[in-house]
Amino acid sequence: MYNLVMKDLKLGVNPMFFVLPLLMGALMLVPGWLYFLVPLYFCWITIPNTFAGFRTQNDLMFTSMMPVTKKDIVKARITVIVILELLHIVIAMIYGMITIRLYPNLTYYFFAPHMGFWGLCFVMLAIFNLIFISMYYKTAYKYGGATTASITGAMLFAGIAQWLGIENSYVTDIFNGTGADNTALQISILLAGIVIFFAITMISYRVAVKRFLKVEIL
Amino acid sequence: MLALDIRNLNKKYPNFQLKDVSFQLEKGYIMGFIGANGAGKTTTIKSILKMIHIDSGEVRILGKDIAEHEIELKQEIGCAFGGLDFYTRNKMKTLTDVIKKFYKNWDDETYYNYLRRFKLDENKKIAELSTGMKVKYSLALALSHGAKLLVLDEPTSGLDPVARDDLLDIFQELVVDGEISILFSTHITSDLEKCADFITFIDNGQIIDSSEKNEFMESYRLLSGSESQLHQVKEQLISYKTNSFGFTGLIHTRDFDPSSDVRATTPSLEEIMIYYAKKEDIYV
Repeated sequence: MYNLVMKDLKLGVNPMFFVLPLLMGALMLVPGWLYFLVPLYFCWITIPNTFAGFRTQNDLMFTSMMPVTKKDIVKARITVIVILELLHIVIAMIYGMITIRLYPNLTYYFFAPHMGFWGLCFVMLAIFNLIFISMYYKTAYKYGGATTASITGAMLFAGIAQWLGIENSYVTDIFNGTGADNTALQISILLAGIVIFFAITMISYRVAVKRFLKVEIL
Repeated sequence: MLALDIRNLNKKYPNFQLKDVSFQLEKGYIMGFIGANGAGKTTTIKSILKMIHIDSGEVRILGKDIAEHEIELKQEIGCAFGGLDFYTRNKMKTLTDVIKKFYKNWDDETYYNYLRRFKLDENKKIAELSTGMKVKYSLALALSHGAKLLVLDEPTSGLDPVARDDLLDIFQELVVDGEISILFSTHITSDLEKCADFITFIDNGQIIDSSEKNEFMESYRLLSGSESQLHQVKEQLISYKTNSFGFTGLIHTRDFDPSSDVRATTPSLEEIMIYYAKKEDIYV
């Protein structure tokens, strides 16, 4: 498993995608922006490009020749996706903290980058993973449909959440109003988001393994 | 001991079927796996390596069932599929560094010995290697992790005669100690005439014959004669071609009456392949 993850990090994933979180995260510095867009860059850029790479480099055949189980192949690939996602989100969080201190008196129309908001981002990526991973492993090479569907799912969630955040005074209050100063509340939303993220990713892993075992490597 | 023991392999596709494929390879020998394009060579090889799901049958490698000991056995198998076509923009060195971590018996010394022997420069990118060098690189990788069974899918196709001959010499050297066994598929039959100990012939998803090379060739006779002679043997022929001089056709030695006056010779592997392919055309 470890070897497979290292294989992807060394060969499969272009080094640019380890730098990308730093560049895209910097968008957090735009005052009062729609911050949901920041982690979405991962879904828009990193995922399709990396999986196109796996396909053109014939990674599936390469991996299948190694002494590894199909289960480990899936587990390693999902680990790599999660590593990249965490990289994006953690770096964006750091930029977010800078933003809050940089513009202390800003009125936010969209969600402000408090911890609770990052909880929502984790849920968004969970939805992305669920759709992408389970769809992709039907064939283990067709990433186009899976990318489109999973991005749509993630953006729908972000759109609805943001719409509620603007229209619904209760939600506004939790994320941007008085709730923002309630550290316990913010931390619990973030933790809930993280738990949902890992739980749903685990479910997608199980679905993916089941599907990948039926895939024939040609 | 059997290096490879395949029994009653079945795999059905909508337009193609592997039917009861069975053959055995003794440890320390080279087996050539021949058949026309689309006869089922690669499908069989991929079934052996569990890359495709078989409907039924059993594959045992070095005495162990691959269905149960897949990971353990893959440590002892070296495989190569035609040209190496993954991560071609990476240097061999980078690729090797990743690959060697997967094998517990990896030996760097052996690896560098083979690189020197095959005149491979590990700073070259895979894309820069010639077809022959790619095969040699695959072989170097397989041998450095102590593979006992080499499963090679068309390793010689695309190589020039010199490189092919060189590769065949290497194969023969490898099996000398009796530790390594090689199964290689090819449609270049002259390769097998040079180096194979056993021949397995697959046609349209079925094993026609699997036996020692000379025995295999001796079990057929290539007949040639006039049109009137054709009528005497027509029923027994596997298939035949007619021309203005008469006919040539392939027959099982057991079906041929040596006392007849039809001229008979031992066919080459190529002729056996061609006449079998022709037989299918007749039925279509």
